[in-house]
Amino acid sequence: MSKQHFLYTKSNLAVLLVIALSITAFIGWKLSNDPVVKAPAEIEDYLFWQAKELTDFKLVGANDKTLSLNDLKGKWSFVFFGYTHCPDVCPLTMAILGQTFNILEKTPAIFPEIQGIFISVDPKRDTPESLKEYVSYFNDRFIGVTGSITELDSFSRQMSALYTIHANEADQSADTYTVTHNSTVFLVDPQGRLYGRFPPPQNPQEIAGVFLKIHTFYNERSNKKWGLF
Amino acid sequence: MGTFLRILFALVLGLVTTGASADNVDLKILDPWVQAAPPGVKVLAAYLEIKNNGEKPQVLVGVSSPSFKHIGIHRSVMHGNMAHMEHMKELIIPSQSSVALKPGGLHLMLMDAKKPLNVGDPVPMTLAFKNGEKITFTATVRSGQAMDTMNHQHMDHSEHMDHNH
Repeated sequence: MSKQHFLYTKSNLAVLLVIALSITAFIGWKLSNDPVVKAPAEIEDYLFWQAKELTDFKLVGANDKTLSLNDLKGKWSFVFFGYTHCPDVCPLTMAILGQTFNILEKTPAIFPEIQGIFISVDPKRDTPESLKEYVSYFNDRFIGVTGSITELDSFSRQMSALYTIHANEADQSADTYTVTHNSTVFLVDPQGRLYGRFPPPQNPQEIAGVFLKIHTFYNERSNKKWGLF
Repeated sequence: MGTFLRILFALVLGLVTTGASADNVDLKILDPWVQAAPPGVKVLAAYLEIKNNGEKPQVLVGVSSPSFKHIGIHRSVMHGNMAHMEHMKELIIPSQSSVALKPGGLHLMLMDAKKPLNVGDPVPMTLAFKNGEKITFTATVRSGQAMDTMNHQHMDHSEHMDHNH
């Protein structure tokens, strides 16, 4: 009788152990999966698989105002790399981004959270002052910056936005060279992480609509983190 | 009223110019325009469609304008998301077809404007073809992304004028 009772207890314990292990494994799996919670299908393609932490950088805008990683924190930043001697793709993308801001202005709860940054990868021809004039034509809230080749190389590399300046081989002093650049509009989240991207061809309705969905998804996720997992 | 007449005159002139160029050749220029750009920008882009109704292919070899020092035929090419520009020596318009120059692809690169250009300004241009043919027409500066807004503004203006009468 007592032996039977013992057996009964032992198997009971085993079952409890299996249940306990399963729960632990499930919690572990849930926790380890948390950073890559699956985004809704309609925004999935615009997000990086995992948000990428950026390291500090120093770029320069008009009136010697610097732009560093801290200036990206607390806001959603739309970042575009280009140059003003680019007559086709750059004004087109900047106009699209300007229209995106006009659309997002109609959502007053979110509009103050966004900023638009144009980074010139042609510091030889584009001065910070000329960039201010350039960007404000598309939206008076846009920020225009550039920097030393070292800074631009390092920042564009972290943003996965490589560029190449094609010096005029026949005449090094010539003013007519072109620059190959990434025409994606990048999205940096309020923690200063590379979070999403809008590849070409873009249109303002698409960027604004997707951004609002990303914004909702992002906030729901941060709220979940502090509540039940 | 003087301004109105001047605009009307410019419009009629524009029509006549386009009409004349369309009459004497198999080539037609459709919707020529210059992308408006911020002040201080040295390089602009122009877009248009070239239609070749003839039996022979036509080859565009040069573009000129009294408003710019130099004009090149360019093409923006995307490799993945990387955009770069290619200079083209010539542009072939096959017979019985048309080639469209539009944002993000083929364009005329306008270098060193002789004076700043604003939305609405006319830009006279001449296309030169390999067979010696030349076509002159007038492109208009406009903001490619703001067409809807512009049209609305025009409508508002005419309504306003009517009220004044």
